[in-house]
Amino acid sequence: MFELLSRTLRYVFILLIYYFLYNFLKIMVADLRREKSQPKETGFILQDEDGNSFTLYEINTIGRAEDADIVIDDPFISSKHALIFKRGSKLLIQDLHSTNGTYLNNKKVTRPLRLKENDEITMGAKKFRFLRGEAVGATDGIDLQ
Amino acid sequence: MRPLEPRTESIYNKSIAITALVGILASVLLAFKEGAFSPMPLYGSLIFIVVMFIGHFLTNQLFPEQDPALFILCCFISQLGLIMLYRINPESAQRQLIWFGIGFVLYFVSSFLSKNWINKNIGSLIFFMATAGLLASPLIFGVELYGSKSWLDFNFFSFQPSELAKITFSLFLAESLSNCKIEKPLVFFGEIAVILGLLALAKDLGGAMLFYFTALTIVFAATSRWDIMGLGLIGAAVAGVLGYQFFGHVRVRAKAWLNPWEDVPGKGYQIVQSLFAMAEGGFFGTGLGLGRPDYIPAVTTDFIFSAFFEEFGFLGASALIVVYFLLVYRGIKISLAIENNFLCLAALSLTVFFGIQIFTIIGGVIKLIPMTGVTLPFMSYGGSSMVMSFISLGILNGIKMRAADGETNE
Repeated sequence: MFELLSRTLRYVFILLIYYFLYNFLKIMVADLRREKSQPKETGFILQDEDGNSFTLYEINTIGRAEDADIVIDDPFISSKHALIFKRGSKLLIQDLHSTNGTYLNNKKVTRPLRLKENDEITMGAKKFRFLRGEAVGATDGIDLQ
Repeated sequence: MRPLEPRTESIYNKSIAITALVGILASVLLAFKEGAFSPMPLYGSLIFIVVMFIGHFLTNQLFPEQDPALFILCCFISQLGLIMLYRINPESAQRQLIWFGIGFVLYFVSSFLSKNWINKNIGSLIFFMATAGLLASPLIFGVELYGSKSWLDFNFFSFQPSELAKITFSLFLAESLSNCKIEKPLVFFGEIAVILGLLALAKDLGGAMLFYFTALTIVFAATSRWDIMGLGLIGAAVAGVLGYQFFGHVRVRAKAWLNPWEDVPGKGYQIVQSLFAMAEGGFFGTGLGLGRPDYIPAVTTDFIFSAFFEEFGFLGASALIVVYFLLVYRGIKISLAIENNFLCLAALSLTVFFGIQIFTIIGGVIKLIPMTGVTLPFMSYGGSSMVMSFISLGILNGIKMRAADGETNE
């Protein structure tokens, strides 16, 4: 009797143990998804000549298009003009085949280039400065947008 | 910090319910094992369930920002461990149940303390002194049990100070490396050498290995220096060879690992019985109560995994490994979430201790690596291991709450 019961129950136990695991894996997947959907700030910002600043995340597209991460309304800027992205601990800038080109410290960007603090980025007629987030009031840009 | 999402909360409640259900089913089954109905396992399982439910809801009420998964995972593992103990030796299971209760209370206390009190300015020297003192105490006052002199014997229970030393050692490592570099290399490595030396003197070589690899991992995590990592691995290899030459019981263990079939009734006996048990288990196991754990030596402590494997099968045992993996995953996640270097490294080294310990003992009983006598956290019979595992999880939980408060280096 005990033998029969035990032989049957072993499948139940294994089912329950795996159901437990399945639940936890669901939580794990939800965690990972949440982490992905929240873009991480890199601690750096772009500041234009008027003092507006844009927070830089791990991937940012810059352009005139409404779905760009940083939207700049300027006739000389292409709809998807440039990309600033993080690789390792560094931020790099890449031109996205824009009509008028992207310039880093007055040199044309033809391949991904590393950004350093105080670099000057020129896109169309606009100039931006690449700064550390703490160097300026952290909430500056948010009020203006 | 937002409260738990309702969906996640319902998953946690479901997991608790599954744990309780497994316990009840197993204990009802075990109650019929001797033919007539004997309710002892059932009482034990009910007490366990009460403690677990109180623990889960109380900690969630008092610490809304805690990580509930830690407590649920360790309850699940303890539940499986208790089932095995009730099956093998009901008396030790009852004592284990008391340790579980004490462990839960201390989990609660250490969560609270580490949330409020661990402050950065204690200094690594104090942690070092505490670790060294703990490890030295059994050499002076201790008794020799299971081939290593690492136990303090009080009249009604014996205590293994090296379990507590794991926590102080973790804090020592975190404090010494909190600036992400080794400030006084000579002092730092000297201190680690003293600690390893004390463990070797107590002949607790499994423990020495745990401490060594944890230290190596944390140094690498803090400094990202490949040269130290490389030297450390070479050092480990050299220490292994020296250990083989000079310690008789290392040689015995290594030989039993390389070829246990050479001396089945003697040196290879433990490992061979463990392998037989696993082979007997197969995919689905023999069924609870139908295996022969009485053939395996040290089955309630070191070899509990083999007994579990025999009765729950390959599927059950691999699921158990995944549960341990999830526990380690939560720990690493906590250490990544906090911005304070000291707490980050402390969380990481507590987690690494867990991870390496689990790997060492499970690897040992399945003959992946030589057998060393460390306990399987939450599952092996043993008060010190149970209580200290709970305390270190409590500290992790406290660190999680501090991460939720946005603690940084300042």
